[in-house]
Amino acid sequence: MNFISAHFLSLILFVPSLVAVVMLFLPKDETKLLRWFAFGASLIPLLLSLSVWFQFKAFAPGFQFQERYDWYEAINSSVHLGVDGLSLTMVLLTTLLTPLAILASFSVAEKVKAYMMLFLFLETGMLGVFMSLDLLVFFVFWEVGLVPMYFLINQWGSANRNYASMKFLIYTMGGSLGLLLAIQLLGVLFGTFDLLALTQRWTSLDPDSTLLGMSVSQVKAIAFWAFVIAFAIKVPVWPFHTWLPDAHTEAPTAGSMILAGVLLKLGAYGFLRLILPLYPFEAKIFAGALAFLATAAIVFGAFASFAQTDFKRLVAYSSVNHMGFVVLGIAAAGLASGTNDATIALDGAVLQMFNHGLSAAGMFFLVGVIYERTHTRNLEEYGGLFPLVPVYGGILIFTSFASLGLPGLNGFISEFLVVRGVWPIFTVYTAISMLGLLFTGAYVLKALKNVLHGPMNEHWAHGEHKLTEINAREILVMTPLMVLILWIGVYPAWILDVINKAMMMLY
Amino acid sequence: MATETLIWLIPLPPALAFFLIVLFTNRNKALSHTIAVGAAFLSWLGSMIVFVRALRVESLGENPFESSVNWLPTGDTWFRAGVLVDPLTAVTLFFVAWTVLMIFIYSVGYHNFGQPAGDHDHKGLPPHGATVDEHGHKHVVPSVEPLYSRFFAFIGLFAFGMFTLVVSDNLLTLFVGWEIMGLCSYLLIGFWYGKKSARDAAVKAFMTTRIGDVFMLLGIAYLYSVTGTLSFREIFTETTLRTLASIPSMVNGLSSAGLIGLLLFIGTIGKSAQFPLHVWLPDAMEGPTPVSAMIHAATMVSGGVYTAIRMFPLLSLDSTTMSIVAFIGAFTALFAATIALAQNDIKRVLAYSTISQLGFMIAALGIGAYVAAVFHLITHAFFKALLFLGSGSVIHGMEHGVLHTGKHDVDPQDMFNMGGLKNKMPITFWTFLIGGFALSGFPIVTAGFWSKDEILADAFAHNLPVFVTLAVAAFLTAFYTMRQITLTFLGEPRTKEAAHAHETPWTMTTPLVVLSVLAIGYGWIGIPEHFPLLGGLVPNWLHDFVGGTLAEHPEALEFNVVPLLTSLVVALGGLGLGYLMYRNVNSPAEDKLQLGFLKNKYYFDEIYDVVFIKPVTWFADKVVYQIMDKGFIDGILHLFGPGTQGIGDGIRNYFDLPVINKFFGDGSANATYFSGEKLRLAQTGRIQQYLMLALILFLAIGAALYFLIKV
Amino acid sequence: MVPLSWYLIFSAALFSVGLFGVLTRRNAVAILLGVELMLNSVNVNLAAFWRYGNVTDIAGQVFAIIVFAVAAAEVSVGLALVISIYRKRNTVIADDLDMLKF
Repeated sequence: MNFISAHFLSLILFVPSLVAVVMLFLPKDETKLLRWFAFGASLIPLLLSLSVWFQFKAFAPGFQFQERYDWYEAINSSVHLGVDGLSLTMVLLTTLLTPLAILASFSVAEKVKAYMMLFLFLETGMLGVFMSLDLLVFFVFWEVGLVPMYFLINQWGSANRNYASMKFLIYTMGGSLGLLLAIQLLGVLFGTFDLLALTQRWTSLDPDSTLLGMSVSQVKAIAFWAFVIAFAIKVPVWPFHTWLPDAHTEAPTAGSMILAGVLLKLGAYGFLRLILPLYPFEAKIFAGALAFLATAAIVFGAFASFAQTDFKRLVAYSSVNHMGFVVLGIAAAGLASGTNDATIALDGAVLQMFNHGLSAAGMFFLVGVIYERTHTRNLEEYGGLFPLVPVYGGILIFTSFASLGLPGLNGFISEFLVVRGVWPIFTVYTAISMLGLLFTGAYVLKALKNVLHGPMNEHWAHGEHKLTEINAREILVMTPLMVLILWIGVYPAWILDVINKAMMMLY
Repeated sequence: MATETLIWLIPLPPALAFFLIVLFTNRNKALSHTIAVGAAFLSWLGSMIVFVRALRVESLGENPFESSVNWLPTGDTWFRAGVLVDPLTAVTLFFVAWTVLMIFIYSVGYHNFGQPAGDHDHKGLPPHGATVDEHGHKHVVPSVEPLYSRFFAFIGLFAFGMFTLVVSDNLLTLFVGWEIMGLCSYLLIGFWYGKKSARDAAVKAFMTTRIGDVFMLLGIAYLYSVTGTLSFREIFTETTLRTLASIPSMVNGLSSAGLIGLLLFIGTIGKSAQFPLHVWLPDAMEGPTPVSAMIHAATMVSGGVYTAIRMFPLLSLDSTTMSIVAFIGAFTALFAATIALAQNDIKRVLAYSTISQLGFMIAALGIGAYVAAVFHLITHAFFKALLFLGSGSVIHGMEHGVLHTGKHDVDPQDMFNMGGLKNKMPITFWTFLIGGFALSGFPIVTAGFWSKDEILADAFAHNLPVFVTLAVAAFLTAFYTMRQITLTFLGEPRTKEAAHAHETPWTMTTPLVVLSVLAIGYGWIGIPEHFPLLGGLVPNWLHDFVGGTLAEHPEALEFNVVPLLTSLVVALGGLGLGYLMYRNVNSPAEDKLQLGFLKNKYYFDEIYDVVFIKPVTWFADKVVYQIMDKGFIDGILHLFGPGTQGIGDGIRNYFDLPVINKFFGDGSANATYFSGEKLRLAQTGRIQQYLMLALILFLAIGAALYFLIKV
Repeated sequence: MVPLSWYLIFSAALFSVGLFGVLTRRNAVAILLGVELMLNSVNVNLAAFWRYGNVTDIAGQVFAIIVFAVAAAEVSVGLALVISIYRKRNTVIADDLDMLKF
């Protein structure tokens, strides 16, 4: 027990990878064994992170459960892990969604072993980003997450998967190039990659001194933009968003769940963890521009989503729209850092990250459920499915309305907090973003109308096309999501309090 | 039980009923409706207990029942959510609880509980009747609704939303209830989702009200930012209100109170279907009739007006806002009344009359007649619920006739297919008559008279144009109501179906009777003190009680004979004229008011379609998606592919191939080959030649060294 | 005692004669003879340098003996080759032996 309690984070982080390596030695035709093995293994990090969640002291400042191992002594980089309220929320989201995604992919029949292994590696990559307190290790995990996802899209995706996976990989890689350079710049300047040490030295730099022949402000500006572009692509902030609909649409169901549920959060997490604390001054200057892009994402994301006839693509664009609120909150916090409004906006933004993780994962899964049965995602070919699949219909309505931001469900709380926090800071942008909120309603209702409503669909009602109801395993995937959606909607304090305290201490 | 605890519990039973029915009992019809009606009854019971306890409290306005808990952490502070029962809440709770319970009971009969399942009924379509074999001959009887349990689940959630809205002590949880009702109205209007018209109406209703909602959300955010609280009791303190009134907003000439008020009021415009967001409400008639009653009388639209009334202290801070409110209300009252004149669908007439009556309340609020607005809100809820349920009963009776004749193309909602139902459906007729007279403001006996009279009196005292507009609207109201009653119930049956109509079961008629009692009796609690003869017989309880909600209790008006006469004349005149004109009308062709622009509701749907919906759809698809995302952004991205390839090709074609390959690679090989070819000639294989050469070279090198060293 | 240069001049002359023979004769046996002459001129040089240099250091004499041995071996192999070629091709003219040439 002592070992476990001393190594919580590294266990959460590396158990999935270790299990993946063990899976290498399992027979590849035993699909059932492989599936349950992977699923069971992915529950371990979930249980561990729940235990971390309950032991976590929300009121204590700084990082908890810290661990540090030497990694690359020559350049003073070490595997330094630790969580605060922000990263713990994200860790919980990741460890929650991974088992669900694995459970959701029990219907994958080809190359099961490779698939499950990639998923477990993916989990390590994502968790590493949230836990690392060392920039170089952060970057390593940042990139580690890309590779499994590339293969998941490329090998198990749908028709246009080559294009989509390539676009995804190259785009994000292109973005992180600058990130790597900027991280190296910082490492060379300060002789350490450790975030804590770096933050201290960085912010206490004399603004008039010079570094590498450039003034401090120049160095900071360069590094700032390198960071911003990398994270903006990942979030994605308008106009860097076009990889997202392609990748989400072509990825296998569980891949989309993780993409929307966790991978997008990496970008927003980067903003919160690195940009706001390291570059308060630059963030203040460029907050207006960021808010503009966020508003554009909200409005254009909603419009573009409304224009879709492909169900999955519609849901994919909704992510652009929802993540826009996260960025809007971050931008406001950048401008008015330290005020109560900023704290509320950040609370909303972080909660929105968590909420979007739940509802977007749910939506993608539900799209996957129906796609698996009909082999089409075209909204025009659905319609009138409600009488055929009433349970599915009910779950779809529930999840859609969570995504729409219906009060009483989770999305509303976070959107309200963002709007409330941002309103005094960016009044006009907030007002414009309401247009996006309005059209969120339009596209969600359009999807429901085109999928469920209408006279009973004879095409899917009989014979070989007969649509079968959502099965127990699929309901099991949705249940935790739906429970959390309702729970956060009705009583968000259990998670919001942790976030709120973290935001107060961070900024 | 402590009153505060009880208030917390009021909204819960219907929500619980929703979850129970959805998760467990949805296959059992009897159990489902028992749970739902039971839940409505519990809420009703709770509301009544709270209401009675509230009556006993001296000056409830200053000392309301309230209780709150920490809900959202916001920085250093918490956002507290809770419940509040002040006089306004108490009276609202009273009418909401009554109408909700009545509607729940009515729904049992309306959805033909106890009847056999239909022959060809589909989920998502209204039932078409079942053939039963009785004593050897077949006949068709109404069939039970296929999604019976689901209906009760939905209205349960709806009731939860309304109760939440009413008992909330702050704008945010009020908004929660508000939107949950929006969801339920979407689900219920689209209850028969198999019909294209229903599913379009559902989307339209949700989207139109959502326009209002997003503005309201902004208003809430704004208010919260300025005052740091959303609790009514904390906002409506003098200091907070004064701050709000003194801070200018970003819009020129408006105080922040004015702008917040306007934003919140736009929410009401959407929810209460005021011009220009009124278009959803008539279409919402696609839902089952109890839903229409629920949405249009008891709950949702009332919720909008309730919120406006609730925010009255804020609204009244800015005169610009108040003028806008008054204008919208008065205009809507008249405008909707004119459309109602030409509608032939029995429910649509009621829908437009609802819009018009809500306009009355809004107008009353806009001229500062707080109590009158509340009064009309309550009486309207009773008589309009009564009318909707009555119309549902009529339609039900007509459907009997349709099933009997088997001609399914006869529209059971078209008033021109009715006539003479008075004798076929007596209970429905008499209760409908009471409701109709209350709506018209039939003097003295009906509740509608007292409330409408009070609005007119206030309008006369404060704002003459509004008074004139409302008077005309009241006249039209009486007129179209009488038209409706005449066409539906009086005269002779105009079709075979009407001749075979049938009174509805007790589950439907009982609510009608209960509501008609309330539609008459509730007016007597608000008789002005100085009313001739009657004034003072019964104390004007309502004015004192509801007026106590406000910090400054409104003064009772001086009695004036002009508005009284006006309301007598418009009510009786409208009713009389309506009867005279439609006594002998038997078909739409004989109806002189079937004017195109009225029938087509001034073409608002068409205009909105052309001005908003089409351009937005076009913009979303063509501009945002196709041009911007696909064309421009992806276009740029796609340049990277060919761009990189171009650079690669360039390097290959202009550097790698010519320089590296040709020059260095092939060139060095060629040079070696060439020189080898030439030098090979020296390799004669003759030792003597080699030696000779060696000797010559030796001599040459020797000579060279000799001279070099020498010199 | 005659000076060293005399020996050197003699040896150079002998070397030149040998070289001339190697370069000009077409008969392989004669070329071999020329080579022997050149080797012996070297031996003269070695002996002379030894005598006029450090007498105790016998390296010069040793080298001369090694050259004898090499020359003897060379002549025996060379003559054997010439005889063998003669038997096959019926000639000892070096120019005619061009089978390995391209």
